[in-house]
This record gives sequence, C-alpha cells and structure tokens, in this order.
Amino acid sequence: MNADVRPVFERGVRLRTEDDGSAMLLVPEGAIKLNASAAAALALVNGERTLDEIITAICTRFDVADSRARDDVTTLFERLRMRRLLVLP
Amino acid sequence: MTEVRPLSLLCELTYRCNLQCPYCYNPLDLDGYRDELDTATWQRVIGEAADLGIVQLGFSGGEPTLRRDLGALIGTAASRGLYTNLITQGTFLDAARIAELAHAGLDHIQISLQAPERELADSIAGTVVHERKLEAIARVQQSGMALTLNCVLHRNNHDSIADVIDLAVSFGVRKLELANVQFYGWAYRNRGGLMPTREQVERGLQIATEAKRRLAGQLEIVYVLPDYFENRPKACMHGWGRAFMTVAPNGRAMPCPGAAAIASLDFENVRERGLAYIWNESSAFTAYRGTNWMPDPCRTCDRREIDWGGCRCQAFALTGDAGAVDPACELSPNHDVIVALRATGDRHPTLVPRRMREAASAL
Repeated sequence: MNADVRPVFERGVRLRTEDDGSAMLLVPEGAIKLNASAAAALALVNGERTLDEIITAICTRFDVADSRARDDVTTLFERLRMRRLLVLP
Repeated sequence: MTEVRPLSLLCELTYRCNLQCPYCYNPLDLDGYRDELDTATWQRVIGEAADLGIVQLGFSGGEPTLRRDLGALIGTAASRGLYTNLITQGTFLDAARIAELAHAGLDHIQISLQAPERELADSIAGTVVHERKLEAIARVQQSGMALTLNCVLHRNNHDSIADVIDLAVSFGVRKLELANVQFYGWAYRNRGGLMPTREQVERGLQIATEAKRRLAGQLEIVYVLPDYFENRPKACMHGWGRAFMTVAPNGRAMPCPGAAAIASLDFENVRERGLAYIWNESSAFTAYRGTNWMPDPCRTCDRREIDWGGCRCQAFALTGDAGAVDPACELSPNHDVIVALRATGDRHPTLVPRRMREAASAL
C-alpha cells in the first residue's frame, strides 16, 4: 500500500463514538465493532491525511513500533477497501 | 449478567405494496395492518430507539416509500445520529424522491430485484416493474448514495444467479445480497413452489463463491445460505432479543419481522408502551433471550452462544412450540420435518401471489 495514499470513507460509512469511548463503524445495514487502535486510525481518515501520517500518529499515541503500526493499519484499511467501505486513492 | 443492548430497529412503515412477490415474509393477514402508526408516533419511537442505544434504523414494509412521511422520519432519525437504511423495491424512486430522501439524511438504499431480466422479474412480481427498477438503480448510483442490490433466490430464479451478478457489476454497485428464500409468511405458504433443488443450491453457492473471489474489492457479494439445506441452524437475528427489534405497521413490537406468526406470545404495542420497557421487560422479548430457556440438546451444546438455538419462528411453524429446538438443526428430534420439506423442491405447486385483500382465501 502506497505511503502517500489519502484514505477516505465511501458514502454511507461513518465512525460513531459512544459516551464510554468505545467506537464502531456504521456501514450499510451493519456495525463493525472497533478496538481502540482501529478506532483511533479511522478517526484520522478524512481524505487529506496520508497513510504515513496516520501511521505516525498511531505510533505516538499507542507507543508501538512503526512496523507494527504499519502492519495493523494497512491490514485494517485493506480489509475495509475489499468491502468497498474505504477508498485508497 | 452483561447488558444486552439493541443495535438495530426495523420500522415496517406499511404492509401496502404494489408488487405481489410470492416469497414475501410479511404475514398472510395483511389486511389486519391497515391501522398504521402516524408520523408523530413513529417519531417518538425513533427517539426512544436512540435513547436505548440503537444505532441502525431500517425502513421497510411492504413498500416504505408509499408513506409520504418517509423523509420526515429519516430526518428525525438523522437528527439523533442514527444510521438510516431504506429497504425498497424501488419503483417509486424518481429523481425528486431520491433527492428528498438524501437531503433528509438517508445513508443507504437497498433495492430488491426479482430476476436479472424483465420477463421473469415481472412474472415473479406479478406486475410490470423491472424496467422502472433498473431506472431507479441508475438514478441512485448517479446520486452517489450507498446502494445495495438484493435478490431473493428460489426455484424460479436460482438458475440466473450469474446474470444477477453481471447486472450488479454493470451498474457498479458496491454490494449484492443473494439471499436464498427464508420460509416465513407468504414464503412459508408458498414453500412448495419456491423450494430450490439441492442442485440449484449447490451450484448457486459455487457461482457466488467464484464471483466473490473474482470481484473482491469491486463488488461485495453476500450469499445467504438456505437453512433448510444446512445441518445446523442460522443464528437468527443474532439471538432472540439480543440485538434486533422490529415494529410492525400497527405498532406491534417484535424481536424479528416474522414473530407475529408465533401465536403463543403476547407482543406489546408501541402505542401503549415505550421501547425500553418492551426491550427490557416485556414477556415476548425476554421469553427466549440468552440460553436459560433452551431445551436439550441446545442447553449443553457448544454452539449455544453461536447460533442461539436457531430460529423461534421456524420452531413454532414446524413443531407448534416456539421453545423447541429449531428443526433446521440435525440434532433436533424434528429434523426429519425439514428433510421432508426439502423434497418439495421436486414438485411444482401453484404460487399464491401476495395480496392485501385475498389473504383470507389464500389461507
């Protein structure tokens, strides 16, 4: 996955954060429960930030190695792209 | 006990529909649902749903676009942050209506198809609709709104799955549901004529699986298995009273859209009770929640929190006891009933078209 793609949600996909801090991705006729790091990565998706910027932010926030954050974030994004919930232009 | 919270509410706004699909899961006594909830009551219910933590709202029926207040109801839901889905057959979606619903905040539309080509589609729907549906699909795609196509599969259209997939690809839609017919309501009445053959079911799965691989990243395909041909039951509604609520056009609140058929249960009405009471305390919602109600062998089954005992409506329809093991399970003492029903796929009884007024004679 190219480091300077700027991920953006497809129409009809929304991140929802609950009062207790938990989050889910609302999609057509469904809701995907998210763990804290997935929710943090998706909260940064706005069509402007690059994949690299999102990974760097996750490294800082969760104190994990760059390679680990890169694997996790690209796996998540790729999974959502395959379901046509996320665009990686 | 961990808190059980509903995530999804299906608002069945009306059972009126201009189509006559014999596989409809609506109840046979459609005429008994003409006293529909008014706009203000639906808006109160939607507010109660948001208070209860529900995040997904479906508007369905019948044909929900027959309600002129659909846009207003979507607006109420959107103002409370709810995700809204419109489940429609699409024949009333002209450009102005699509714009109105999008403006109100609609997130997603699902349009049903009867078949990939006009002659077969119109014969299944019992009226001329296919071309109008194709026009609606093109318009929704043009609007940019999230769109899913859905095709209910049965004996008369099962062999055209590949063409349904091609049609979805040609429109560039994101998601296609190929749903083997489930036998509730009119579909249960017509099961003899709708039951696919085992060959159709197996070939359909093969085609869908191959297309899923080939089209990954382009078109998401969901193939809903026919549980009459499975060895274990489906996790119906993710468990009774665990995630879903349905409100019928007359205000009756149920754990699933088919539950009205369970004569042994007493369902509360949203005209008299709030959704929170109905979810947390009503006898119908608590009757089969969790695992305590389960008979053997469900009670000790290692899948009891995977399939939640299967489908209560199916247990009632086939055994007369909503608390029985779902006969779709090969461990059910009544599994032979399902096995015998599979064989009706070899016969060709006449299908009774779904109609409002002639329901009594159809019974």
